[in-house]
Amino acid sequence: MTQGVEHAPVEILLVEDNAGDVRLTREALREGRVVCNLNVVVDGEAALAFLRHEGPYASAPVPELILLDLNLPRKDGREVLAEIKEDPTLKRIPVVVLTTSNAEPDILQAYNLHVNCYITKPAKLDEFLSVVKSIDDFWLALVKLPPKVRP
Amino acid sequence: VIAVHADNLTRDDGPVDAPSFASAILNILDDSALETARLADTQRAILNILDDSALETARLADTQRAILNILEDVAGETARLEDTQRAVLNILEDSAQETAQLAETQRAMLNILEDVDVERKKVEQAKAAAEAVSADLSRQTQELARSNRDLEQFAYVASHDLQEPLRMVSSFTELLGRRYKGKLDAEADEFIGFAVDAAARMGSMINDLLAYARLGSGERQVGSVNCRSVLAQVLVNLEAVIEENRAQVTSDSLPTLTANETELTQLLQNLVSNAIKFRTERPPVVHVSAARVGAEWRFAVRDSGIGIAPEHMDRIFVIFQRLNPRDRYSGTGIGLAICKKIVERHGGRIWVESTCGGGSTFFFTIPEREDATR
Repeated sequence: MTQGVEHAPVEILLVEDNAGDVRLTREALREGRVVCNLNVVVDGEAALAFLRHEGPYASAPVPELILLDLNLPRKDGREVLAEIKEDPTLKRIPVVVLTTSNAEPDILQAYNLHVNCYITKPAKLDEFLSVVKSIDDFWLALVKLPPKVRP
Repeated sequence: VIAVHADNLTRDDGPVDAPSFASAILNILDDSALETARLADTQRAILNILDDSALETARLADTQRAILNILEDVAGETARLEDTQRAVLNILEDSAQETAQLAETQRAMLNILEDVDVERKKVEQAKAAAEAVSADLSRQTQELARSNRDLEQFAYVASHDLQEPLRMVSSFTELLGRRYKGKLDAEADEFIGFAVDAAARMGSMINDLLAYARLGSGERQVGSVNCRSVLAQVLVNLEAVIEENRAQVTSDSLPTLTANETELTQLLQNLVSNAIKFRTERPPVVHVSAARVGAEWRFAVRDSGIGIAPEHMDRIFVIFQRLNPRDRYSGTGIGLAICKKIVERHGGRIWVESTCGGGSTFFFTIPEREDATR
């Protein structure tokens, strides 16, 4: 951490198996005004291991925001969401579902599992970039988040 | 006899001996007395006979009367007998007729029974045929349900799995264009341009295909639809296009009918928007009307546009078939295919009447349903 910087970069966990989307998200966050560190895992099991500091993620940071895709290998995004929201500590971390699905049952199920918000990935580049920037602006700059407690 | 004797006495023998004469007269007198007695007897006998005869005659007359009476009675009896006989004959005749009728009735009944048997066989055959058809139908229904599931699966694949890589292609070609435009050479910019355009077009086609596939899947509600309100909504939806083209859209009075409102709105919107889109240099004039023809409503959307050559009139209703260059008239070519599907889902037909350069009129029919309120 260099001198003069008031805040450490905001830690974000992106659970996404599509390398293209990972890259686009990184591009969008780079253009944003909040300095953040994007941690990426590619499946549901890895996401929970990361959050619980298990195995290779023993020294992983506690993220302040989780961007979660629904259709994931090994453990589905819905299961990951359910486990996070059942965990007394993890449930305070805001989870944004960012998925290509705009199917009503998926949306309903996500909110039933206490997702903090549900966003459908826009097909157009400009819209995608602006959506990620909006998430950045809202969740990392505007919203007051709970104090960070290491589980 | 005396006279004879006297004659004999005087003439024959001349002089008559007196004693012989007297005895002769006595003899004659005796004879005559005898004769008289015999005559009286005979007379009595005759009288007796006559008496008897009279009695006999009287008896005969009695007998005759009795016989006549009997005969009369017999005649009466005979007449009665004849009457009875006639009556009996009549009865017999009637009975014969009845018997004949009965036989006829019996024959008729047998015929009917035979007919019934034939009918029963026909019914059995029809039933067997109906069962076969029903089995066929059930197979077809299953087939249809399967094909519907396939279509839904396809819709999901089209919406999610196909769009995912497409989104990557279009996003990164766009990012490439944004970051490196003018930094490579002119050819590179051109190539990137083609890739970006094609990816965008493919995105539209996938969305259109999805909209087309979704028509006909899932729940579909049919209710009373006021076509005047539908057209009003269409004009609101197309407000920008109408203004941009300085189009004039008019309509006659439109009916209220039974349909799916969303689909009918899309149908009219596609037709009106086409009528404006395929315009000439003059501002488009569009007129929507409806007329009751038999058991259906026939709608007409008339335009003043570029028209359609007769050889293309069927092709325009096929998905992704386009007649005009993309740079002059945009669109994937899904609009009329969707219109056709909507009209056919309502049990109607759609067709076009047009002359090249003389505008087009698109017609479609919606059958009137019993439950429609007017």
